[in-house]
Amino acid sequence: MSDLLRLTKASFGYAGKPTVAGIDLVIGAGDFVGIVGPNGGGKTTMFRGILGLLPPLVGRVERLTSAVGYVPQRESLDAVFPVTAEEVVQMGAFGRLNRMRRLSHEDKALALESLERVGLVEQRRASFSALSGGQRQRVLIARALMVRPKLLLLDEPTSGVDRSAQSRILDLLVGLNEQGMAILLVSHQLLMVRDTVRRVVWVYDGRVEHGDPAEMLKPENLDRLYATIERDAPGAS
Amino acid sequence: MDISWADRWHLFHFAMLAAACAGLVCPLLGSFLYLRRTSFYGIALPQFATAGVVFGFVVLPWWVARIGLGDLSADAALGEPHAAMNYHLVWAAVFTFGGLSWLDFLARKSGRDVGRVAAAFAIASAATILFSRMSAVGASFVDELLQGEVLGVGLHQFETIAVLLGLVLATFVIFYRDLVLVSYDREMAQVLGVRVFRFELLLTIVTGLTISVGTMSLGPLIVFGLLVLPALAARPWARSMTSYLLLSSGFGLLAVVLGILASFELDLPMGAAIVAAAGLELIPGFVFRRMRR
Repeated sequence: MSDLLRLTKASFGYAGKPTVAGIDLVIGAGDFVGIVGPNGGGKTTMFRGILGLLPPLVGRVERLTSAVGYVPQRESLDAVFPVTAEEVVQMGAFGRLNRMRRLSHEDKALALESLERVGLVEQRRASFSALSGGQRQRVLIARALMVRPKLLLLDEPTSGVDRSAQSRILDLLVGLNEQGMAILLVSHQLLMVRDTVRRVVWVYDGRVEHGDPAEMLKPENLDRLYATIERDAPGAS
Repeated sequence: MDISWADRWHLFHFAMLAAACAGLVCPLLGSFLYLRRTSFYGIALPQFATAGVVFGFVVLPWWVARIGLGDLSADAALGEPHAAMNYHLVWAAVFTFGGLSWLDFLARKSGRDVGRVAAAFAIASAATILFSRMSAVGASFVDELLQGEVLGVGLHQFETIAVLLGLVLATFVIFYRDLVLVSYDREMAQVLGVRVFRFELLLTIVTGLTISVGTMSLGPLIVFGLLVLPALAARPWARSMTSYLLLSSGFGLLAVVLGILASFELDLPMGAAIVAAAGLELIPGFVFRRMRR
């Protein structure tokens, strides 16, 4: 299995102060990994580091492929922009515009193909902000597919959507993973992660633990992890 | 005595064409300012440009004596301000870019803050009044600009506004996709390897250029009005980014045409009439939104 992403003793943080430290992580082709942990534990900081938005304070981050797709939290996108679903998806190819800063015919076709893959080609002319939460999430996945990714990074892909939309998104991710795409997602929805991913990275209190989801997310292990958090919290007796 | 439209065109076509250029281009920039939630830059920066123009008048005698202004004497430059237009344009640009860089620097450091932009507007307004006290000619020139009376626009001013706003238009046409991406999803742009800083700098340059040349030629009122109102008027009707930008520009041009008609027919200052027409364009969108709810 070829490696796509390698973190070696990496620490990430702000203003020189590490939020999460000592991360050793390798993501290979076909991996399906969930980053979980309590709020404020450092998972978003780690995710930003993996994306290259935050340089490591210590250690190394090696992205061994340039085919990395990114799906942000949909709430981060301002609804004041009057963009259609198709325009949002086409943005995924803006990193390779031609010399006249135009999209190629291939990229326009790929945008339709990506919308087809996520089941939203009929809604391509709909306003992005008028779509349901689950549909918007799938549009963002279609946008990430525009780079023909080998590794797909998703930030809270199922938060704030109803159960049917959630299962549709997960089915889509599982399908992409079965086609060989490595997937790394951040989520606070432990049950969803346990039932979907094949490996868990638990980020808490600036530390990282890896493991099998069924094992790590057992109630007794969760009790232990949360007890550690509570014990280490400032003000705990 | 009634003047025919042919005579009006003959006498004032440079003013009409300059206003049309602004009507076409300012709303494009205004759309980006609105979407990036920086519309207030549209009110603060023309005020910086105005302060720069008056400051230019204050230092003009010193400038002519020490550095020179071509063949112009200080008296000639003060007697016919349009003769030293490039000089005043440079001061307008220096103050606009200064204000814009300052606001951008603070926004990068500690986030966008409307209060800070309001403070910048207050400071620039005070500076305009204080500089006006130091130069009577500057004060009268700026009074004319503030009134929005643009009929005095001549060939040189029209050429300047047409060339510079033409460059701005070309920038939007060519780099439209990059500017949309860095405005809509900055992080995604970074992940895709788009040079975000380069395009944000381009937007800053385009903003400074449009506002300084527009303010110097047509006055701060028209510039602010055309930056903000057509972009707002177009938003309820837009179904996509492309249609939004085209509609904004269309509303801007329509406001200029209606404003010019009203100004001649009702004997109103042209600048104020254009802005009032742009204001009226908000009504259909407002009604449309209420009906859709």
